[in-house]
Amino acid sequence: MMRVRGWRKTVYHTALWLVALIFFAPIAWIILGAFKTRSGILATPPLLIFTPTLDNFIDLFSRRNIPGYFLNSFVMSLSAMVIAIVVSFMAAYAFSRFKPRITNFLMFMLLSIRMVPAVAVVVPVYLMYAAIGWKNSYIGLILFYAMFSIPFSVWILKGFLDGVSQRYDETALVNGGTRWHVLFRVVLPQVAPGLVAAFIFNLIFVWNEFLFNLILGGRDTTMIPVAFSTDLYSDGGLNWTFIAAMATAYMIPPIILVYVFQKYLLVGMTFGTVRGEV
Amino acid sequence: MALAVEFQNVSKTYSGTKVLDQLSMQIEANTFTVLFGAPGSGKSVILRLLTGLEKPDRGRVMLRGEDATHIPPGDRNLGYVPQSFALYPHYKVADNIGYPLQLMGMPAAQRKPIVESAAESLKIAHLLDKKPDQLSGGEKQRVAIARGIVKHTDIFVLDDPLTGLDFKLREQLFDDLRAMRESLNATFIYTTSDALEALILAEQVIVFDSGWTIEAGKLETVYARPNHVRTMALLGFPEANLFDGTLENGVCHSPIGQFRAHTHLNGGAASVKIAARPQHLQFTPTDEMIVFDAEITLVEDLGGEFVAYLDARGLSLTALVRHADASELTEGRVRVGIQPEKLLLYDQDGYLIGQGAS
Repeated sequence: MMRVRGWRKTVYHTALWLVALIFFAPIAWIILGAFKTRSGILATPPLLIFTPTLDNFIDLFSRRNIPGYFLNSFVMSLSAMVIAIVVSFMAAYAFSRFKPRITNFLMFMLLSIRMVPAVAVVVPVYLMYAAIGWKNSYIGLILFYAMFSIPFSVWILKGFLDGVSQRYDETALVNGGTRWHVLFRVVLPQVAPGLVAAFIFNLIFVWNEFLFNLILGGRDTTMIPVAFSTDLYSDGGLNWTFIAAMATAYMIPPIILVYVFQKYLLVGMTFGTVRGEV
Repeated sequence: MALAVEFQNVSKTYSGTKVLDQLSMQIEANTFTVLFGAPGSGKSVILRLLTGLEKPDRGRVMLRGEDATHIPPGDRNLGYVPQSFALYPHYKVADNIGYPLQLMGMPAAQRKPIVESAAESLKIAHLLDKKPDQLSGGEKQRVAIARGIVKHTDIFVLDDPLTGLDFKLREQLFDDLRAMRESLNATFIYTTSDALEALILAEQVIVFDSGWTIEAGKLETVYARPNHVRTMALLGFPEANLFDGTLENGVCHSPIGQFRAHTHLNGGAASVKIAARPQHLQFTPTDEMIVFDAEITLVEDLGGEFVAYLDARGLSLTALVRHADASELTEGRVRVGIQPEKLLLYDQDGYLIGQGAS
């Protein structure tokens, strides 16, 4: 029996590894490519053993506009998230505690907004932004991304807040705490995993966002995904070393984030229904 | 008689349901007052109004003789032990206990001795450096109580603080709570739906049923002669025996026999509810007792006492017997007696109208 089980286990593991490798292969190719020379990257069969070079990265970051794109991505996704999380936390608290009569309807609306495809809203938003004069402005994009992240964050956070007993709030209130004290000193520390989860989920969404950045953004507010599409071509063809280096640099921040906070992400994905252990 | 708390015609409606309807009650200062009622009888709402977490729709809430209806909870200066502990998981025990003082703006150095002496009095001084999730249920409870009493004030509100604890832990806390009430010389307002807790802890008891006060007073008085049949049914352990009878010309006809009754009713026949506490049924009847035959169907050992379940010609009764009389308790037919004056009579609306007479 043991032997059969051991044999099966080996098969499972081999299969899993195979699937993982197939999915990981393109990523490995692009990461390895970032360290290859221009001729090496397109060699057939692909070179697995080669002398790594950092030239591609040096070339990438010495381009006039590239550091700016990275900075844009960082600044906009982070500040949009900070706004979104603060607003969502307070909104979720209000939904969870004061239970306005239309809570369920509003929560449904929030979720269904998330279902609307981006292309459906991009034209009206564009017209609106053009009218306000927010095209190619930081504040415009940051607020847009914050707005886009709020519904999902409210959903995640409401789940977490519902899990925090109202007795905590009441104990603080009876002992003389203010509502702000309850929000930030009593409740917030208890939903930290939810905050982190909401933060990272949405951060990755903004980090990867292409369409709105392309339409609402402009030269000053370009983020990395759009920069990809506009800078891909140089020297009359696809510049593979540039692509590989930029893709690699682009991947690193989210990978680090997800790695560091992976346990929070799991909790976040279950909307706070799986608790403890964090 | 100074009043710590007074409700004057307080009404409260939640989404169309009247939870409290014109409720009035008074809680004397420096007493251990238990608000007693079945779950859902409105006790928690009363505490929420008392602490200021909710405002009444109508009526006034008076604290220390002054109208407090619109004073926010934090300014009412109450010690508070919430239901289900609510210890802050991100604070150490010491910080949990010191939390009310911290909110008052007391510096840490000043808090320390107060926290330590509160922990001392609840025998949890060794836990001060732990986090709440490292504690057992009973320890958490003690921490929650310590946090509730650490504030220097005269009114403490305890919202059913012993629910969910096993009997042994509760028993240990009973003594501590009473001792604490006396040493603080303050008013303790305590809600529970557990009759035994009410009987052990209360000096004063207020009995609630579906949002109104059935009766209030000294525990001994309320227990001995409940003014309402619901109090009789709720407040007592084991539950009181209740059965129907008819009263006619001063004589009560009941399934356990006839007996003369002192009531303020005269004349014609009236149906009544008869109540007898299990403690008053005896298996060694004497001459002046009402005596009837019954069958013992089950005997339950409570340790020091026995509960006997009886069947008296189709009427189910319970009797509580002390250990000494246990030899009488063999299953089968027995003769059961009760002093007629121990039988209380209630009218159809549930109000006390009199008692049996020998």
